Amino acid sequence: MDNKWDLLETTDADRERIYAKSRTFTQDVWFRFRKKPTAIAGFIIILILLIFAGIGPTFTNYNYVDQNLAMSNIPPLLKVFVSPDQKSYLYITQSLKIININSDGTLNTQLSKVREETEKKMTIFDYNGTEVALYYGVNPYLIVDEPTGDIYEKKTIWNKSYILGTDSLGRDILTRLMYGTRVSMTVAFIAAFVNMIVGIIYGGISGYMGSKVDMVMMRIVDIISTIPLTLYVILVMVILGSGLQSIVIALGSVYWVNMARVVRGQVLSLKEQEFVIVAKTLGSSTSTILFKHLIPNAMGSILVTVTMLIPSAIFMEAFLGYIGIGLQPPLASLGTMCNEATAALRTSPHTLLAPALVICIIMFAFNFVGDGLRDALDPKLKK
Amino acid sequence: MHKFILKRIFSMIVAMFMIALLTFSMMHSVPGGPFTRDRKLPPEVEIALNEKYNLDAPLHEQFFSYIADAIKGDLGPSFRYTGKTVNDFIESGFPTSAKLGVITIIFVLITAIPMGILAAVKSGKWQDMFIMAVATIGVTIPSFIIASMLIYVFSFQLNWLPTYGVDKWSGYILPTIALGGYSVSYIARLMRSSLLEVMGQDYIRTARSKGLSDIKVITKHALRNALVPIVTVLGPTVAGLLTGSFVIEKIFALPGLGMHFVNGVAERDYTTIMGVTLFYAAFLLAMVLVVDIFYVLIDPRIKFDN
Repeated sequence: MDNKWDLLETTDADRERIYAKSRTFTQDVWFRFRKKPTAIAGFIIILILLIFAGIGPTFTNYNYVDQNLAMSNIPPLLKVFVSPDQKSYLYITQSLKIININSDGTLNTQLSKVREETEKKMTIFDYNGTEVALYYGVNPYLIVDEPTGDIYEKKTIWNKSYILGTDSLGRDILTRLMYGTRVSMTVAFIAAFVNMIVGIIYGGISGYMGSKVDMVMMRIVDIISTIPLTLYVILVMVILGSGLQSIVIALGSVYWVNMARVVRGQVLSLKEQEFVIVAKTLGSSTSTILFKHLIPNAMGSILVTVTMLIPSAIFMEAFLGYIGIGLQPPLASLGTMCNEATAALRTSPHTLLAPALVICIIMFAFNFVGDGLRDALDPKLKK
Repeated sequence: MHKFILKRIFSMIVAMFMIALLTFSMMHSVPGGPFTRDRKLPPEVEIALNEKYNLDAPLHEQFFSYIADAIKGDLGPSFRYTGKTVNDFIESGFPTSAKLGVITIIFVLITAIPMGILAAVKSGKWQDMFIMAVATIGVTIPSFIIASMLIYVFSFQLNWLPTYGVDKWSGYILPTIALGGYSVSYIARLMRSSLLEVMGQDYIRTARSKGLSDIKVITKHALRNALVPIVTVLGPTVAGLLTGSFVIEKIFALPGLGMHFVNGVAERDYTTIMGVTLFYAAFLLAMVLVVDIFYVLIDPRIKFDN
């Protein structure tokens, strides 16, 4: 091959050869999905949250019901005073008690009260034999040496016992957050699954049967969709009472309407295609055609609808918890945690911040994944 | 046109009947009657109460008498508060809710539409990125979280605005923002995409080639068609604001209808729950109908079939 301009020898087989590896549908979807950074970020966040909620509670030292009233409303970031012997720190709680904090940031015990000095506006506590005084004449309160009135050195340290602090009943927020995320995610996944099944069956039958059956079934869907879903969910909750099961039933029985419409639309357009005619000619039964041939082809849109359904289920669960008809205490869900936190918003905003942040993160993650999936599963839909 | 409206009104009536039937049967399937208290009532008192509230009649008779009363505008007595009727609650609560709702709708429209237009005009630039980022956040964060954060920042930390009540006009600011946040974001996004779509059409190119300025092209030609999708979502938006107000009225302690509803739910005041649900449903369906008619009126391209 001295002359580079000579034609190369090719055969027909060479020309027909496919060099790139052919991809399956799943690989295709994954290829398009991973090109979107937001979708991948959302996907990773969901995985992290699942791990956090699933196995997180085994790594904490607390339980979601363990109350410790002596340690109530303790924030994650503590403003402390250095103790007289310089070995540890002292923290003033909202109920005007002093907690002894070890030098590594873990919480020790409450100091015992010795006496009240009303005219000096001081409460005297006993710290390992030394008397320390809580001076409540100014806000924020101070810890001082009783005879001299010297203020002990101030410092800000992280709470190592309760990383996210405690709530008004002295329960560890991190542990409750894990349980709450677990409950919210479980509710959302089960509700989405139930809705998917109901929607597929209802929409599939309606779309495949067509004509009168379709008309009647879709009129019913129209009427249901005129009822504001929030009202309906609240009504169901009132009747079934609070609890995990009721939430799942309430959410599961409501949100399938949208899914049914999506499935019907897909089935309507798919059932005119050749492979269905072939299946019919071969004598397949209606249910085989519907569930073996049509539904798998509509799975793309179904999956996208499901991913979009999960954040709205989480939102609804949080909403119910927030207006106080979600779970019964002491069970935790993200909504009930927010509800409990708003009562003490002024004094301990940290109790609201953690669950609110987790709700937002979940919503973002699922919305991003939903967007990514929509683009990946159905590139035609891309705007 | 008339046929279309009549058809819609008919389906509205069917939907209302279904909702009434649904709520009625749900309320009566609850274990324990409305007079179940911790202390058991003497049997003769219970019989007398049942007679007074017509609870001893067969269920279908109760249902039809309830419907007949409701059509006349009488939603019956409250089971929890003696001497109060459901109508009292609606009369005392609805004006506050309606005022908040109207203010919020105005707020949503005057912020979302300019935001969407700006984002579309500056498509791809930093203004667009910024507005879309804000809108994405607004769509994903639940309203009660926005409300709590607003209270914490503007009431507790800065001390600018009241945390509850609507005695002063400033009391409306935070509830309006919290209630309208989602709709503002949603409508801004919709406005942007719809305007971008319209801007790509032929008649806009024609207008441009006539030598019209960008502002004129947008305001005179593009906007009219771009606003059509906005009108479509106004119905659902009103519905969303209405149900969203449950939580907002609770947080800001506004004496509105939503608060009565949530209280009714908490206290299992069945007639109040039923009555307010019916009222909400009727109101919503009427709003959706109005929006639908309006929608057809502003866009002559839409036909009346179905």
